[in-house]
Amino acid sequence: MASSPSSQPTLSAFPLLTAEEFETACHAFSDRVHVAGDTKVGWSSIRLDQRATGPILSISREVGRVSTIHTSGDEPMSDPEMNQVLQWEASEEDPEALIRAPGPSVCLQVVYDVLLSPTYQVPVLYFQLRQDSHPGPLGIDAVYQYLVPDQYRKELQSVGIMGGISFGYHPDSGTPAFFVHPCHTMDAMRHIAGQRSLTPEAYLIIWLGLVGNRLGLQLPKELFTKEGIEILQGTM
Amino acid sequence: MDSKVTSGTIQKAIWDGRLPLQISLASSESRTYDQTDPYLISCPRISYLPSLLPRLKTFFSSSLIDPSSPPHQGWFSFEGVPLKWHYPVGLLYDLYAGADPASKEGADTDLASTADEDPLPWCLVVHFSDWPKEELVRMDANWMVMQDAFINSVKEADFLRNGTAKGIMSLSKEDSSGLWEAVCDVDLPSFQRISNILIPPPSQPFRNVPIRLFLPLPPDSGSPSLKVVQSPIPPFIPPSSGSSIAASQSILSTRGPQPQTIGSALHSLLPHLFPSRRTPVLAKPVLHGAAVPMGAPVEEVVRCSGYGDGWVYIVIRMMG
Repeated sequence: MASSPSSQPTLSAFPLLTAEEFETACHAFSDRVHVAGDTKVGWSSIRLDQRATGPILSISREVGRVSTIHTSGDEPMSDPEMNQVLQWEASEEDPEALIRAPGPSVCLQVVYDVLLSPTYQVPVLYFQLRQDSHPGPLGIDAVYQYLVPDQYRKELQSVGIMGGISFGYHPDSGTPAFFVHPCHTMDAMRHIAGQRSLTPEAYLIIWLGLVGNRLGLQLPKELFTKEGIEILQGTM
Repeated sequence: MDSKVTSGTIQKAIWDGRLPLQISLASSESRTYDQTDPYLISCPRISYLPSLLPRLKTFFSSSLIDPSSPPHQGWFSFEGVPLKWHYPVGLLYDLYAGADPASKEGADTDLASTADEDPLPWCLVVHFSDWPKEELVRMDANWMVMQDAFINSVKEADFLRNGTAKGIMSLSKEDSSGLWEAVCDVDLPSFQRISNILIPPPSQPFRNVPIRLFLPLPPDSGSPSLKVVQSPIPPFIPPSSGSSIAASQSILSTRGPQPQTIGSALHSLLPHLFPSRRTPVLAKPVLHGAAVPMGAPVEEVVRCSGYGDGWVYIVIRMMG
């Protein structure tokens, strides 16, 4: 039952993850990203922080360009924060403005934090979407517009198997953050991985595919070199 | 309290518990700066602050510089600290009002009386603009975010008690919102009817007990957040040796494992603050404004003195 990062034994309590297994998985996964090359994977950063609440795997990336807001703005903007963004955009693009142009668009940043839920004993995804110089995190409408791929939007909004997106407090920083409620994760993992025995990292990768994909956290193919695929296939 | 104390009377006393609040309008939002009369109310400890917002909005509307903001844009602060609305009022009071340096006096009597100033009524400030985005989750006009937070918390407690979330999942939509309404209305009989569906009878021990511990942060930590400790706490202390099968069988026998007490749980989670299982040495656990006896079995404490969401929130107060 002893687990060491190097040997990566199979999980002892699947579909749950113990604290040790979660840490092992996070180490292995961030090593994988560093081996592939941090810049190649297209994320701004990935790091593993040891906090009082346990390890946090933190991934940040830049999201598209806000200027797409003008072309894809079919839906009415009910979020006052995004309206504010629009107003700022308008003033920045004011042809009368003589100040130095700030560039054609403003980038959004998203920070994904993966933690182990002390209640459910499964990973849980917290995330915050921010815009340069915009005070405070952006709201739920922006999350659906910029992070959630079209094909998942309806499912998430209608509270599908993953239970939708909730708004709460980040367990470590205490700041407002969105999260995917983990109460269905156990069943979803059992459904997908079935009876196969997984290593901690394989569990995390499957979970990232399940939950991360729905919120714009796609795993770049660069992560799956030959050896990487073997690691996954060997256990599945 | 000379009549017989049962878990029922303890629960009723907790639901009857009230705090006198004196709520002032943020002076920057008032036409008369700090000359606005405060709003006084005796507020149930188990209720949530936003439930006061509609009447506060009405009360202060003639004083507001900008009377157009809707009630759900209201938020509360105590000594400049924005108060998280998803915590019950009683917990917020235990967390912040007693955080008076004078309470560090050696006097080991009534916690409130050791403070320099009488903390009651608890003086809060209500704001209807300048939402602290980095600190508080925004609310919506239909209070759905609030109800979602409450139900998420109920689900977590249920999951810990049973090891599955089946209980809350099988609760009818009517009962699920009924539970929230019963807490909002401080309606104990309605609450008990629904929570009896969720909570297994005393003959079936919980798998784990839903307890969260709130630790004081040093004033110079520069962090606005509270340190919250949560870890699975089983209602019985498993024997240090023997197979797991023997352990599960012996739970029912009289010579089985010892019941987990508040003291043993604190000692295992926070051994530095609680070097003893029996006596508070450096810190003491505070629940509903009272010091919890270290010898109280955790499961009994949770069954009779949980908040509306089924959790017991214990504030760790430093002594001496």
